[in-house]
Amino acid sequence: MKPPRRLGSLRALWRDAPAARGLLPLAALLVLWQVLQPNPSPYFPPPSLWWEAALRLGSRARFWEALGATSVYFLLGLAAAIALGTAVGVLLGQSRLAARALGSLLEFMRAIPPPAVVPVAALLIGYGAAMRIAVIVLAAVWPVLLNVAAGVNRIDPLLMDVSGTFRLTAAQRIRRIVLPAVVPALLLGIRVAIPLAIVVALLVEMLTSLPGLGALMIESQRNYQSSEAYALLVLVGLFGFLVNHCFAAVEAAVLRRWPPRRFASS
Amino acid sequence: MIDLARLRWGRNAPGLLTALLCVAAWELVLRAGWLQYENLPPPSAIALGFVEIVRNGQLASDAAHTLQAALAGWIVAIAAGAPLGLLLGSSLLARRYSLASIEVLRPVPGIAFAPVALLLFGFSLRMEAAVIVLPAVWPVLVNTAGSVAAVHGRLHEVGETLRLPRGAILRKIVLPAAAPGILVGARLSLALALVLAVIAEMVGNPNGLGYALVREQQALRPDLMFAYVIVIGALGALLNAALIRLATGVFPFASGPLQESR
Repeated sequence: MKPPRRLGSLRALWRDAPAARGLLPLAALLVLWQVLQPNPSPYFPPPSLWWEAALRLGSRARFWEALGATSVYFLLGLAAAIALGTAVGVLLGQSRLAARALGSLLEFMRAIPPPAVVPVAALLIGYGAAMRIAVIVLAAVWPVLLNVAAGVNRIDPLLMDVSGTFRLTAAQRIRRIVLPAVVPALLLGIRVAIPLAIVVALLVEMLTSLPGLGALMIESQRNYQSSEAYALLVLVGLFGFLVNHCFAAVEAAVLRRWPPRRFASS
Repeated sequence: MIDLARLRWGRNAPGLLTALLCVAAWELVLRAGWLQYENLPPPSAIALGFVEIVRNGQLASDAAHTLQAALAGWIVAIAAGAPLGLLLGSSLLARRYSLASIEVLRPVPGIAFAPVALLLFGFSLRMEAAVIVLPAVWPVLVNTAGSVAAVHGRLHEVGETLRLPRGAILRKIVLPAAAPGILVGARLSLALALVLAVIAEMVGNPNGLGYALVREQQALRPDLMFAYVIVIGALGALLNAALIRLATGVFPFASGPLQESR
């Protein structure tokens, strides 16, 4: 898996476009919506009603519990996916045999879309915390695994020979050679994994009505609380936006410590 | 560079062996009763379940419905995303006045639109299409915009030197140069469309493969459910492979970029 260049190119495009005027079409759309739809419509409630619904939601303890549950399971699932993906990725990246032996099986498992796994996991593990985390891991582990495997695989064998010549200890070798190769790849994998983990965390809640933002969204739809459904849509979008931005900040800080290196073999 | 997809089944004896061993162990553990799992069927039962849904025609009708919805949503997503991407990629003005909006909307998890779509369209194919199109449009749009903007400036200059009109530059120079990138977007979008169709069927529209999963779960037929899960995975892999085959056939020079970024 190469770095998603489309993201990079979008970032490059982004740089020549200051933010405020770029928000104009979205703002215009919302204003038009508000102006053309002054009555509370059951289908297209105007944005002012979304705001009121959001305030209503914010005053309820259930909303905060749901937000907490979704965040906790998202983070737990993501952490488990990172741990598992890094471990298996290092194994696959180091050993040609392991990559060949496990490759087909992993490729097959990766092809199964996460939503299809939800009923299976519910039936096998039952409705609970373990199932939620398992499903998130199953969706978010692949980008981490593949990127780490590629990162380890890219380490120039020459560097390992040099470390032998210099009689580096295992700890030094990991710190000076393996980490600089793996960290940028790992970060890239996590960046791809985050949106997947959010989507699956919400999806599990929607499908099983276990407490969380996803369950609240489905509930508002079932009760025909359309302004609440729109408000939750915006809030979930905001959640994704914030998580992505926080991670971007972490990523920038870590990359300053371990800048991506070019290796001779790549 | 390691690439799991390139380790093909046929040429990869250790991989095939591991897979077979896992399946055999799964079967053995359950048959011998070493592990008691009420809802975990052995592979042989799943195979029989697969035969059953093929025989009674359920699989064919479910798969047809899901494929139809996914392809329809995908085509709409391309029809909407490619022209917009072309506009964004070729016009700095359009970029300046819309990129921030896109950056705000794009991270909204696609699945979050499902309840709103359900509210608007009820349990229907239209709801399914809406759930598919909104998230599936982004890969097309972003890849088209990115690859059109990345077309080398010198190619534009060549077009101007030859005094081609703007339409001809777009048609004869920009589009062919950007086509591989656009195809990557289309491929990502198709994979997404299939997953979203399954989601929409699980949450809303009671039809197709997604609903079949929920149905068999509630009917306590885990063998059939597993068969459906495997079919969904295989369908996704098949569509992806078909599109890569098609794309490398049309653009033989661009096989590298077509396979990147899954």
